[in-house]
Amino acid sequence: MSRARPEARRATLLSGVVLLQAVCSAFFLADVLGDLGRGPREGGSLAHNLLELGVVCALVVGTVFGALEVRRLLTRQARIEDSLRAAGGAFGELLEEHFERWSLTRAERDVALMTIKGLSTAEMAAVRGTAEGTVKAQAAAVYAKAGVSGRSQLLSLFIEELLSEPLVAR
Amino acid sequence: MERLGSGGREGARRIGEVLTWDPLVRLTHWSVALLVLLNGAVLEDEGQPHVWVGYAVLGLVAARFLWGLVGPARARFTSFPPSLSAARLHVDEVMHGRERRHESHNPLGALMAYNLWATLLAICATGLMMESVAFFGVEWVEEAHEALFAWLMISVGLHVSGVILESFLSGRNLVRAMVGSFHKRSGGGA
Repeated sequence: MSRARPEARRATLLSGVVLLQAVCSAFFLADVLGDLGRGPREGGSLAHNLLELGVVCALVVGTVFGALEVRRLLTRQARIEDSLRAAGGAFGELLEEHFERWSLTRAERDVALMTIKGLSTAEMAAVRGTAEGTVKAQAAAVYAKAGVSGRSQLLSLFIEELLSEPLVAR
Repeated sequence: MERLGSGGREGARRIGEVLTWDPLVRLTHWSVALLVLLNGAVLEDEGQPHVWVGYAVLGLVAARFLWGLVGPARARFTSFPPSLSAARLHVDEVMHGRERRHESHNPLGALMAYNLWATLLAICATGLMMESVAFFGVEWVEEAHEALFAWLMISVGLHVSGVILESFLSGRNLVRAMVGSFHKRSGGGA
């Protein structure tokens, strides 16, 4: 999900700017209306106040556009997360498909998955609650069934699949 | 060490999962809370800073209203229309422990949100009247301003207890949805 993070930060930052603009708008609007209410003697010339009112309008328009931009960013961010999740799901399916084809046992599937995830033999043994020797034997069985020499070849098998076809249809 | 296997981790993440609100909702919520605290407890009632903070609250509430019209679906007014009957149904569901999930505010929370906004706007309005030439020094305006603030404090109390109760009953931490996670992935958005 790391790709979505800068978007989130931008959305937060832009939200802050939008809110600052909204606060300034309220502030200036109240000021101008107060000046207009006090009349030309105390509140300054009409032309000046109308000009200020124009500035307030510009600020409000800017706030609205800022808000729309934040919304666009959030929509984009949600879409990126969706497609990442879809990609993750697609990769999972790809793995399942291959495991099925190689007719791996339940234990071998777990070991294969952990191998791909980069766990060491000791870690795998700890997770599965078995001896390291058992894990080594299971990993060897996986490599044999997949027809690869070892971990790196097993990995490259899937990497190749990933590169050959797009995971998520845009 | 996390348990591996098909879908195991996904399931774990889903339990008690809360959707965070979008940044604009979170920022308006907490800045309004902070400014109300500032005006109610720190700044002097008579001073100019009190008035400025009031303007800022008005601007923030206005921004939230704009967001309620053009923001993402979850933040829009149409996702949480004020409805007494829906609120009653919600209370009934919660009492019987068969609450449905609500994408936006739950119906009771929605009523509270509208109540808080209306109260804030009314406080701002009476505050502006006190500043104006026409209503300067008029007593009932000042009294209304103070009474409304008292109502706001009661509402805030109810709001906080509602959030705590709902979090407790549903097992979902609603506070986290408003705080958001800045380091972990935020599930908010459109």
